[in-house]
Amino acid sequence: MAKILIIDDDPDIVEAMRIVLESKNYLVSSSKSGDDGLRKAEAEKPDLIILDVMMETISKGFEVARDLKKSQKNRDVPILMLTAIKESTGLDFKNEAGDEDWLPVDDYMEKPLKPQELLSKVESLLGGR
Amino acid sequence: MENLAPQEGLIERIYWLIRLRWIAVAGVIFTVLSIEKIANIPLRSLTLYTIAFILGVYNLIFFLYLNRIKRNSPPDLPTIANRVANIQISLDLLSLTALIHFSGGIENPFIFYFIFHMIIASILLSRRASYLQATFATALFILMVSLEYFNFLEHHYLNGFVAYSLHANKIYILGISVAFISTLYLAVYMATSISVKLRQKEKILQEANLLLEEKDRIKSNYVLRVSHDIKEHLSAIQGCLDPVLQGLTGELNPGQKDLVRRSSERTGKLMSFVRALLEITRIKLSKEMETGPFSLRKTVENAVNFVEARAKDKDMRLSYNIDPAIDVITGAQIYIEETIANLLANSVKYTPKGGRVDMKIKDKGDSVLIQISDTGIGISKDDIPRIFDEFYRAKNAKALERDGTGLGLSIAKEVIERHKGKIWVESEEGKGSTFNIVLPK
Repeated sequence: MAKILIIDDDPDIVEAMRIVLESKNYLVSSSKSGDDGLRKAEAEKPDLIILDVMMETISKGFEVARDLKKSQKNRDVPILMLTAIKESTGLDFKNEAGDEDWLPVDDYMEKPLKPQELLSKVESLLGGR
Repeated sequence: MENLAPQEGLIERIYWLIRLRWIAVAGVIFTVLSIEKIANIPLRSLTLYTIAFILGVYNLIFFLYLNRIKRNSPPDLPTIANRVANIQISLDLLSLTALIHFSGGIENPFIFYFIFHMIIASILLSRRASYLQATFATALFILMVSLEYFNFLEHHYLNGFVAYSLHANKIYILGISVAFISTLYLAVYMATSISVKLRQKEKILQEANLLLEEKDRIKSNYVLRVSHDIKEHLSAIQGCLDPVLQGLTGELNPGQKDLVRRSSERTGKLMSFVRALLEITRIKLSKEMETGPFSLRKTVENAVNFVEARAKDKDMRLSYNIDPAIDVITGAQIYIEETIANLLANSVKYTPKGGRVDMKIKDKGDSVLIQISDTGIGISKDDIPRIFDEFYRAKNAKALERDGTGLGLSIAKEVIERHKGKIWVESEEGKGSTFNIVLPK
């Protein structure tokens, strides 16, 4: 079964996502910080990474995403980015997801996450895996 | 203190002076006509009309010049305005002196009209400049009287008004001069002491206003932080409730399911409220909106798409019409789309099944007029003035839809006003509402 790594500093959200994802038998591991997440990604080689934007800093998630895309091992691992940022910065992710240079993520989701929506995004990102 | 020039209102006050000068031109013509025709006193009417004409010409020039600098609004606008005010008052004093000279000189009782100019100077100019104008008026007066006295200038006798020519009567000249000159300076003294005090008060008020704005900004920052924190917690709560509700943690009995569903729904509502609060606070805090050219036509289409399904669910007719001449305008596209979409969503929400929502977008030259009309519940007369207030909801809207943030229209107003546009509503309770937006291109 596909391995999913969640990088998010909010333990409650991680737990809720774990329950949703485990209900479909995905193997879920998690990490509470960007740097730890990068290490875990290297060690575990997940099939999908769910990444929160705001962790230690307001844009830590962006840095992690860029580092992941630079890594030999994880370059092709799809990233689903979680955002709660729209209201506070006015950034509209619709226009920017997929812009490789600016924000190298494959899809994004706004918090709060609806279980069905999360599952369908995960499924489509994993594709045929 | 002396430099307390009334910067803000000076331009407006100069316009006021220009309006007064039009009246003065008409006044001169009317007075000359009346004196000649009714009082039968012979006057150098052609000369006087010519001066009135010159007065009109330079008034027009100042008017056009002022319009131009106001449009360009250069950084040194206050300095320019101040200079314009000084030049205008000096020119007025010259014109008045010429008028008086050609209509009796010291015999002419209208000589006391100089006082008006002193008052105007005191209102428009600094204290020092006002005294300088008084001195200029005095110099003009003395010059005119002496030149006439020594016959360097012809004296135009007011035959029929005074018994005999007074311009060579030393005692009369002395008496009038003392009274006249002291009146000028006293008028400036009194008027400036009032206007300087007023300007000081104005300055204090301005400072207080700035302070309030700063406090408001601090408050908004506080609201932003608090709402943001609340939202994060809400997000986690909802994220935890939904898997439970969907049975991902095991089947729930009907009672559990009902309560969890209620909790999730209420969390969702609180979340929309916090989102709206964040949004309006963020707009208020942003100094400038990022604007650029965008297609209003496409934006309108997006907004219509946003509500189409909801309108269809209620069997409503949703139509829109955009003037073919309109396409690209300048503004913050995301916000304009959201504003139009929100107004359409409101119309759909507060219009009963089978009703109509119609949007018209008209070209008004420099701006566009967006009108969104519905056949909905309308807004009562008492509510109309308040519906754009933050957190305010009309009584009938509350009765129809218990939950609502009361922020939607405040956000719309903030967005439109940031674009230097206007938004207002026309409505009759029970019949429907029309929301109007004027948006500069």
